[in-house]
Amino acid sequence: MSALAQPAPGSRLHADRRYRRRRLLSRAVEGISTLAAALAVAVLALVIVSVALRAAPAINLDFFTKDPAPFGAPGGGIRDMIVGSAILVGIASAIAIPLGILVAIYTTEFAGHRVATTIRFALDILNGVPTIVVGIFIYGLLVIGRTQSGWAGALALSVVELPIVARSAQEVLGLVPRALHEAGLALGLRRWRIVLRIVLPTAAGGLLTGAVLGVARVAGETAPLLFTTSIFSTFGTPTNPGEALPNIPVEIFSLSESPSPQDHARAWAAALVLVGFVLIVSIVARTFNERSRRRLGS
Amino acid sequence: MSATTPIPSRRFAGARVPLSDRIGEPAFRALCALAAAVAVGTLVWIAETVFDHSGTAFSTFGLGFLGHTTWDPVKNHFGAAAFLYGTFVSSLLALLIATPAAILIAIYLTELAPRIVRRPVAMLVELLAAIPSVILGLWGIIVLGPFLTGHLEPFLRSFLSWIPLFSGASSSGYSMLNAVLILTIMILPIITALTREIFATTAGDLKEGAYALGATRWEMIRMTVLPIARPGIVGAAVLGLGRAFGEAIAVTQVIGNATQIQASLFQPAGTLAAQIASSYQSANPGLGQSSLIYLAAILLVLSLIVNIGARLIVRRFQRGR
Amino acid sequence: MTVPRRRIWTIATAGLCAVLVAACGSSAKHSSSSTHSGSSTTGSSGSSLASAKQLVGAGSTLVAPLMSQWEPTYDQKYGVAVTYGAIGSGGGIESITGRSVTFGASDAPLTPQQAAACKGCLEIPWALAATDVAYHVQGVPNNLKLTGPVLAKIWMGQITSWNDPAIARLNPGVKLPATKIVPVHRTDGSGDTFAFTNYLSHVDPAFKSKIGVATTVNWPGGVGGKGNSGVGGVLQSTNGAIAYIAIAYVLENKFDYALVQNAAGRYPTPGIASISAAARAATTVPKGGTQGISLVDPPASAAGAYPISTFTYVIVPKRSSSPAVAGALRKFIGWAITAGQADGPKLDFAPLPAAVVSADKATLAELR
Repeated sequence: MSALAQPAPGSRLHADRRYRRRRLLSRAVEGISTLAAALAVAVLALVIVSVALRAAPAINLDFFTKDPAPFGAPGGGIRDMIVGSAILVGIASAIAIPLGILVAIYTTEFAGHRVATTIRFALDILNGVPTIVVGIFIYGLLVIGRTQSGWAGALALSVVELPIVARSAQEVLGLVPRALHEAGLALGLRRWRIVLRIVLPTAAGGLLTGAVLGVARVAGETAPLLFTTSIFSTFGTPTNPGEALPNIPVEIFSLSESPSPQDHARAWAAALVLVGFVLIVSIVARTFNERSRRRLGS
Repeated sequence: MSATTPIPSRRFAGARVPLSDRIGEPAFRALCALAAAVAVGTLVWIAETVFDHSGTAFSTFGLGFLGHTTWDPVKNHFGAAAFLYGTFVSSLLALLIATPAAILIAIYLTELAPRIVRRPVAMLVELLAAIPSVILGLWGIIVLGPFLTGHLEPFLRSFLSWIPLFSGASSSGYSMLNAVLILTIMILPIITALTREIFATTAGDLKEGAYALGATRWEMIRMTVLPIARPGIVGAAVLGLGRAFGEAIAVTQVIGNATQIQASLFQPAGTLAAQIASSYQSANPGLGQSSLIYLAAILLVLSLIVNIGARLIVRRFQRGR
Repeated sequence: MTVPRRRIWTIATAGLCAVLVAACGSSAKHSSSSTHSGSSTTGSSGSSLASAKQLVGAGSTLVAPLMSQWEPTYDQKYGVAVTYGAIGSGGGIESITGRSVTFGASDAPLTPQQAAACKGCLEIPWALAATDVAYHVQGVPNNLKLTGPVLAKIWMGQITSWNDPAIARLNPGVKLPATKIVPVHRTDGSGDTFAFTNYLSHVDPAFKSKIGVATTVNWPGGVGGKGNSGVGGVLQSTNGAIAYIAIAYVLENKFDYALVQNAAGRYPTPGIASISAAARAATTVPKGGTQGISLVDPPASAAGAYPISTFTYVIVPKRSSSPAVAGALRKFIGWAITAGQADGPKLDFAPLPAAVVSADKATLAELR
């Protein structure tokens, strides 16, 4: 694109009052736009720095290796929440990632155009359902009349994770060159073998990063867990998904409402762990995503 | 080559389809189809479960539920009006701030930023969306709340108090204003990302034509980029609105969870999603719980309308190009 | 060629979707019918987690601090893990009614409807504490004197600023700022709300008719917080706030608290002495585990009694899911009302009166 053509300094147009006003307006808009971008980045930095600074006093080795202390007592950590969150996200991903990839394979390889569009539309709508409604859904299905459980929480998380993984997998699979399909067909392979032997391995990098992004997103979700696995004792480290598992997001949520400064410090520290995990994983996944897409497209 | 070119089952003379293929192909297709059915079925299932469990409240209150402003667990009178008000006001105000900001940031990223800076800054803005909402809520309670009561609200009140929105004392950091600001931070990245995509695909020769006619940069954007992008920006904004409607956690942490409508932004308020989240530990079984799920049903319908609307707008915009 | 393969697959997939949805629809209808009756007819599916080695409970946040002391001690001594979720008394009653926990905890006794829905539940008082009135106002000293009627008017929105004459009259010589009062309440089903509204209804008939007594009421205005912890959070961050909050939390966070006038006209400091005085004034002793004891607004004869004291109850079904669980519950509750009381005083829980302890032991024997 050509550079902005400026009238030559000294020319009559350059000195013209109306032109100067127009140029001033344009520069003002440029300035405000830059300011807006700077502000957005500043807010991000502000939040992360707040978390890091306030979390610093509470982060120590005990924090990761001990369970919370009883009411009012100092010390303790969030070990049971880390373990619980890992179990919940693990089960949710074990359900959502294979399911999401299979859905994506269906829409890109097997479905007719209209069916594929409908499914894509439904996935987009599912992505837009508020996560608190997803929590109520699983609550109504599995918790009412029974008890909260890790299974219910993980299932709620998987409903949130599924459209994310499926959408990203669809994009990646769509990038696989048709030439590879045609080569497979020319060799006499049936479609399923083409998918399993040629398409999936080619797209594996992109599929993996899409899955990782889904995991990162779901690790921070609180609303699906509120109605399904939020009533837990903080003593002991339960690992049985049949009971409500402690987890980091709900713990931050309850701590955030408490008045005591120790609770706040623990909330910030847990927030640092969570946001650190989510951001680092997101950044790494996105960088790999760019790289693998460029490779696929070439 | 379409996905449906039939593969001849009689290939070379004498060759037959191996057994593994005869089972494998249909089995794999069935598996994928099943996955797709589950994905689509889940959406239907969500709607059905939520509507089912709100049945008691619906049969008691009917659609009048949307108009009642009381939420009284003792007398068993429930109504969603206060929360509908809060949902709309908080989301629309957040949209009002976030959309112009998103357009400006998109302008910066597509027109003004040096190439090296472009991708990192774009990623940083998108990372705002990656911050879990519970952490933004925590930040809203402990950092933003005191800032609002100590600095921003007195400032706004000092010369805007003639508007009812800005009147009233601000005693606590839990207010509609806090929620509006947090929601703005949450929806800004979505609208920015979509707007940036739209701007980036504006035809280069249109832009150059504008410059050739002597337009300044702002005039070029105003003449060529914005008019074409307008429906897409509307779609992006509506998607952002949907996100704001559905946000439960951060909002319930900072909004104060009041059950009455109050005029001032400095007072606590309630939204549909926040009310559901605040009652998560107990609701009187029977009518109370059913009313809570009725709120969820309303929220679901709202988000469906907004999301489907946004997709249709975006799709018509894409088709028109 | 006959029917194109693509069409077959589309029809098959659509049929599969329809079948799945129909199946889910019918199963959802089956499960929702049990919701409407309010309690699970299949019973102890939640307490399948319970065994002789693990007891699951939920409810009152007032007793939660004491619980968090009991859990590790009891586990160390007897090897039984007690899991407790502090979700508010309302949630505790609901959970035990639905048998999704082994025991519920509530500061509010069961109403007749709740008792009927709970199908043979025993409520056993197992700790004794109080609901304080705490506040956070710059410029107001600790231990402000307030009365029940004044508190009722504050929460009904009729007294709106700290320097109101009604408050000034009770505190001569104290300079009160013109800050607006922000009354804080509980958003969840709360035994503290029950105790507080019970007290206010006793001393102010207007409050009783306008707002009433329950674990959740329709407060006109004010800010809500979830759990005693949430209320404390709101209190701490709001200048001018006044809240009703369980005594252990006031102690832990060193909030300023008011001295509430009792029927004898005195202003006792909320603490073990004044709570015990209120308990001594109670005339009924719960027999058979089907009654609560109200301690609010004790008569003038109890001169040193704190007027918003409250027992807190453990609610258990008379018939447990198994004899082993019944035995474990009997042992745990029996320990809590005797040896467990030793953990109470540092959290401002007064020891249970002897008459209550013996009545409890008799009730416990009915548990099987």
